Amino acid sequence: MKQLLRFLLLLLAAVFFLPTLATILLSFYPDGQVGFSGYDELFFDCFRFYTMFWNSVLYAYVITALQLVVILPAAFAFSFARFKGKEALFFFYIILMMMPLQVMILPNYIGLRDMGILNTRAGIILPMIFSPFGVVVLRQYMKSMDGSVIEAMRLETNSMVRILLHAVAPQVKVCLYAVGLFVFAECWNMLEQPMLLLQDENLKTLTVFFSDTKNVSDQVLYPASVVFMIPILLLYLFFHRELERGLTLHETN
Amino acid sequence: MATVKPHKSIRWNTKCLLCLVPSLLGLLLFYIIPYLRVLYYSLINNQFKKDFVGLKNYIDAIQNEYFRLAFFNSIKLITVCVPVLILLAIAVSLGLTFLLKKLRLVRVAFILPMLLPTASVVLFFRAVFGQVENELPLYLLFIWKNIGICIILLTAALTTIEDELYEAAKLDGAGGFSLHVKITLPLILPTISFSTLMAIVNSFKIFRESYLYYGSNYPPDYGYTLQYYMNNNFLKFDYQALASSSVLTSLLVAAIVSAFLLAERRYQR
Repeated sequence: MKQLLRFLLLLLAAVFFLPTLATILLSFYPDGQVGFSGYDELFFDCFRFYTMFWNSVLYAYVITALQLVVILPAAFAFSFARFKGKEALFFFYIILMMMPLQVMILPNYIGLRDMGILNTRAGIILPMIFSPFGVVVLRQYMKSMDGSVIEAMRLETNSMVRILLHAVAPQVKVCLYAVGLFVFAECWNMLEQPMLLLQDENLKTLTVFFSDTKNVSDQVLYPASVVFMIPILLLYLFFHRELERGLTLHETN
Repeated sequence: MATVKPHKSIRWNTKCLLCLVPSLLGLLLFYIIPYLRVLYYSLINNQFKKDFVGLKNYIDAIQNEYFRLAFFNSIKLITVCVPVLILLAIAVSLGLTFLLKKLRLVRVAFILPMLLPTASVVLFFRAVFGQVENELPLYLLFIWKNIGICIILLTAALTTIEDELYEAAKLDGAGGFSLHVKITLPLILPTISFSTLMAIVNSFKIFRESYLYYGSNYPPDYGYTLQYYMNNNFLKFDYQALASSSVLTSLLVAAIVSAFLLAERRYQR
């Protein structure tokens, strides 16, 4: 019985792995024969790819870094400050985190237009920095934090920045890594924002490149997909333990 | 906290509160104020005349056959895919934790889809399911894509259960299946409910997958979800239709999420 279940599980894993594997294999199989001509065409004839790849890297790193800077103090405030309506405000954060992108795309568009940063890099980056997801996850994680370390630190310094960096951050490091990886993957995969909020081709990301099936041939798409996987795969290999331990939810309420 | 003097404690509290300011300010500027303006847009006839028309835009949206189709398809996706996804994720997580403890590599197969760009595998799905003329490929894509986060959450919860609990239960004569029903399930119930919530929300995000899969703004009827309706109205600059459907969808999501969290809170008491 156990053997059978094990076998079924491995089979299922194989099925789930198949799309990834097939994409990699097919990238070496352009024109119906094994070879690197797909990669040749991508690297030497497709200069748009470089611009868009760079844009994807830039957005993902900048957004991830800045978001971590915003969510650490915010989650800390939710854990340690006492004020009226705290739970209600947190509830609001959860609801906002659950809102689908399409609901927010028009508000986003109007907001950016009136601030004059539509069709700029800042217009993509700024709204995503304040996404509430990280605050919610990090606050849940902070419930298991040791408060005495912070108390001890308060005797030494009055600086909030130092308390956050030396007493809080080390304790929630795992969760910060997990959220960081998650946010990075989210940005790396974002499609709607660059598609709808940007007109300038030079600012768009690789995901737009993939959705543009009219101008890009399959022969280039498979190798491009493989190159696109690499950064996120590397990050996962470095941080997979943190990802699994950092997303432990103690309670949702 | 007892050793801290009261006035100092107030100062400390103020400092803690200040930590929340950047996040709140950002939310206000980029989410809340723009949302309120959309709410206003949904109540006027057009951006130039700005006449107040009450609920007319909402009535138009509800009477629009494409809005109804999109709404129906989105709800169908939730009611069909989410239960399948959660049950499958529970089964896989139990298997990974209790049957394949040593083969950690196996879980990578399930977690990778969550991280990998959808764009890169859509081609493969299209090659395999290109001939299928119903919503099945989209549903499979959804499950494939979203099982990773559920498995991470569930396996994390499962590994925190102490072995002694199982040992004790085994001594009492419980075994195999009943062991999990009696011990494992109640302990991971909060995680199951959170995973379900995440899955429901992600079902609203399926647009990315389906847009790349169908490769256009006009998918076949069975693949036409709420996101397409909004996306297309956005491209047509039909702000009133978009504003009213955005508000309706946000209310739907807020209602689902609140009901879920309240039910959970009640259960925990």
